[in-house]
Amino acid sequence: MTESAGAKARAGSAIGAQLRRIPAERQRGAILIVVSLLLLAFPLIDRNGGDIDAAANACAFATLALGLNIVVGYAGLLDLGYAAFFAIGAYTYGALSSWQIQPLWSEFWEPFAWLGLVARIHAEGVPDVVHMTVSFWLGMPICGLVAAIFGVLFGAPTLRLRGDYLAIVTLGFGEIVPIVARNWPYMTNGAIGLNGVQPPRLLGYSFGVDSEPFYYLGLLMIAALIMISLRLQNSRIGRAWMAIREDEIAASAMGINRVSLKLLAFAVGAGFGGMTGAFYVSKLQTATPDMFMFPVSVMILVMIVLGGMGSVYGVVLAAIILQLLQSWFLQDLTGWIHKLGHWVDSAWLQRVDLVQSIELIFGIILVTMMLFRRQGLIPATRPTPALTLEQQTAHVGRGGFAAPIRGIEPKTAEPQRAMIEIRKLTRRYGGIVAVKDLDIVVESNSIVALIGPNGSGKSTTFNLITGMDEPSAGQVLLLGEDITGLPAHLVTARGVARTFQNLRLFSNMTVRENILVAMHSRTTTGPLAAVLRTPRSRAEERDAEERAIEIIGAFGNRLLPRANQMVKELSYANRRRVEIARALASRPKVLLLDEPTAGMNPAETLELSDQIRSLRTMGLTVFLIEHKLNVVNDIADKIIVLDHGEKIAEGTAAQVHSNPQVLEAYLGRKAAHA
Amino acid sequence: MTYTDVLLQQVINGVSLGAMYSLLALGFTMVYGIIELINFAHFNVFMVGAFFSMWILELTGLGGQRVILTGFPLVGVLVLALVCVMLFCGVLGVVIERTVLRPLRNVPGTAAMITTIGVSYILFNIILLSQGAAAMNFPNPMPKVQWNITAGTVLKLREVLLWGISLLLMLGLHFFVRRTRLGKAMQATAQDQEAARMMGIEVDTVVMTTFFLGSALAGAAGLIFGLYYNFASYVIGYTAGLRAFTAAVLGGIGSIPGAMLGGVIIGLIESLGGQLIATRWTDVIIFSILVIVLVLRPTGLFGRMMIRKS
Repeated sequence: MTESAGAKARAGSAIGAQLRRIPAERQRGAILIVVSLLLLAFPLIDRNGGDIDAAANACAFATLALGLNIVVGYAGLLDLGYAAFFAIGAYTYGALSSWQIQPLWSEFWEPFAWLGLVARIHAEGVPDVVHMTVSFWLGMPICGLVAAIFGVLFGAPTLRLRGDYLAIVTLGFGEIVPIVARNWPYMTNGAIGLNGVQPPRLLGYSFGVDSEPFYYLGLLMIAALIMISLRLQNSRIGRAWMAIREDEIAASAMGINRVSLKLLAFAVGAGFGGMTGAFYVSKLQTATPDMFMFPVSVMILVMIVLGGMGSVYGVVLAAIILQLLQSWFLQDLTGWIHKLGHWVDSAWLQRVDLVQSIELIFGIILVTMMLFRRQGLIPATRPTPALTLEQQTAHVGRGGFAAPIRGIEPKTAEPQRAMIEIRKLTRRYGGIVAVKDLDIVVESNSIVALIGPNGSGKSTTFNLITGMDEPSAGQVLLLGEDITGLPAHLVTARGVARTFQNLRLFSNMTVRENILVAMHSRTTTGPLAAVLRTPRSRAEERDAEERAIEIIGAFGNRLLPRANQMVKELSYANRRRVEIARALASRPKVLLLDEPTAGMNPAETLELSDQIRSLRTMGLTVFLIEHKLNVVNDIADKIIVLDHGEKIAEGTAAQVHSNPQVLEAYLGRKAAHA
Repeated sequence: MTYTDVLLQQVINGVSLGAMYSLLALGFTMVYGIIELINFAHFNVFMVGAFFSMWILELTGLGGQRVILTGFPLVGVLVLALVCVMLFCGVLGVVIERTVLRPLRNVPGTAAMITTIGVSYILFNIILLSQGAAAMNFPNPMPKVQWNITAGTVLKLREVLLWGISLLLMLGLHFFVRRTRLGKAMQATAQDQEAARMMGIEVDTVVMTTFFLGSALAGAAGLIFGLYYNFASYVIGYTAGLRAFTAAVLGGIGSIPGAMLGGVIIGLIESLGGQLIATRWTDVIIFSILVIVLVLRPTGLFGRMMIRKS
């Protein structure tokens, strides 16, 4: 698509200069319209039936690529057996609408016949049989649904494990589906293939074997899938998928249920594959197990890698390029080489068949793209423009957040109660006890600091509270409710937000998107609402956007000009700020900060200390791990000291500092007694 | 020939297959243990190994007519083929690691895995395009010596030799990993790459060694495949690779003894399953085992605890 823009630019420098002045959004819109018109007019321009047929097949592969893009590109799950879902869709349609399955006629089929789903076939001398005649327009969604169910069935056991296992399981699944198809002649007619699959009919007109209506149907499917993909991408669901792709653990800390969202991605991708299967099989009017073997899965993967993982238009472009390569360019090139071989009288050159080497080219594309251009032909994310000098200057602000942040429950007149209460919490790793019989109370609307030497169990305690790790014994209570052993995303939903010591941001997402992800548990838009853009989902999205900008704005010039920058482009201190902003976005009751000021200079540290203090003023409870003792002394209402997983002291700064055990832990026995 | 005899015969076949799967599984498990990567290129390094050992055997004059060797010439030819194919595949593995995998080692996500799929596909198609799709005859110099264990069960010299080769290689690997300096460095790197680096271990060398050893064993498995089935074809890597990977998962990925045991179990399941159910369902059975193990016991039989790095 950028190519056509480039061609125009070359046409005249004056036009080129004017074109550059058109905003990028409009330019893209114009290119889209031109490309769509060209695609619509293609069968009128090119009257060659073979070409139109190839184009219709390209449409099928483009829709497959769009489906796999949801799984691989959005959610980052490598599916190596995607053709299996294609096959399931194809055979389901075969079962619904072909001569393949012909049970004997009985009363049971009467209502189906009345609905027009089956027909009674009468022949002399044999009992009557049933002919399945489910309409294509009904069959296609059913095929999608069946494939999605299989996607869930096969995804469920493995999606809990590391992503790499999914690759191998899908590879195996992709292999056994054709085997089952081959060995189950009743459903599939084995290696011979389905027969008499019905083409779609529309208003009494049958598509038959003509490629043209299939081409237009294919275009329609691509357009629909592009719209669905784009709408999902910019929704709560799409952001959650990308968060999982970037960092699963952080995603669950943002309130995202990893397993169910991964399953959803898998099911949606499989559903697209199944629908395409129905389309493809109704076009070919047969299906054999060989059509769904491993090379098909690889080809679809190559389309995604070439186009750019997660890039909707890139994937479609790559599908078209590969199809052109296969059905036109390589054939022409082979023809030219044969002619050359004829002239130079070389038998070898006359035998070369480049079409055969397409799979070799696929392999080379995979490797070279991964090595040299991982973002693909059309990257899913565009680089953001550099900031002006003015935008980059930041003054150290004192006094904390100027305006209250929406979503934090304001301070009440009620007396303080235990926001978090930990009872006898213990965590053993094999023989090592990381946390032992720990009792901690974090009072509401206070700042409690957890300090202690490295390895004293501070971060483990945080992990146990937030459900990142399960305690061996003991209890965690949030406002008196037991939350021990609750999965991380549910803990977040209850109102516990955290930051991570080693920063776990979604680096390939913008600051704004990072903040939006954290609102996952406070928003409700489902996949269907996101695709349909229901008024409620739009209102919710608008509200979320507003809140995101508000939270980013609370950090002033530090983050506001960078709202649309990728997090990986930010400085270390700014990334720390994004982590805090992200945690705030989940509307927590209590905020757990793991070394919030690490890597900040003294002035920035003071700024952040003030901000933390102002969070308490707004009504939030803060529980933090911090190594900088001056920060702790400055802001903490209560300090808890850990050593070797045990609490050795608790109290105000003055009390803790005079505690001999604390001095010993920090400075060593000798110094403490000196 | 009683039913027991049939089963016993299938056990013998299964152990032979298992020996091959074990060798192949070791490559998966070692690479995964060190850099947590499922190396799909391994599938077809094995397949290339089968072809390469076929060429070596043909070069020694065993092509065409069926030549039977005994005694020293037989051992000599086998050792020659084994050494050559192991060196060739080992170097192939190192070349793959150096050229395309090292630049991606610290890239998060699926990039490295996709690259190994690409490499695998390239190897697959190079052999397909240059050698054709038809299965090729693999020279078999083994004499038809066999012993009757029971009335209906035979143990062929071929099988005894294959078991011997596999056992020697596995013992050698075990010795290397446990006793040598580099082997200990491998163990340390598998435990904690960062800590190993701080202790002065050159992780790059360790990764390279791992690829060399794993691929060399895949080459040996390729030779064994050829001698056992008497053919070589471009498609053999896919099924054998998937079964060997299942063996590695069953044994506990990352565990060397696990891969050895897992291989034998998968071999037995293949031969007995083929006997008791139907060979056309073998892949489905083995795939089900993979899924069941992943669901019920993802650490496998000998797997070490997988601690999430956070």
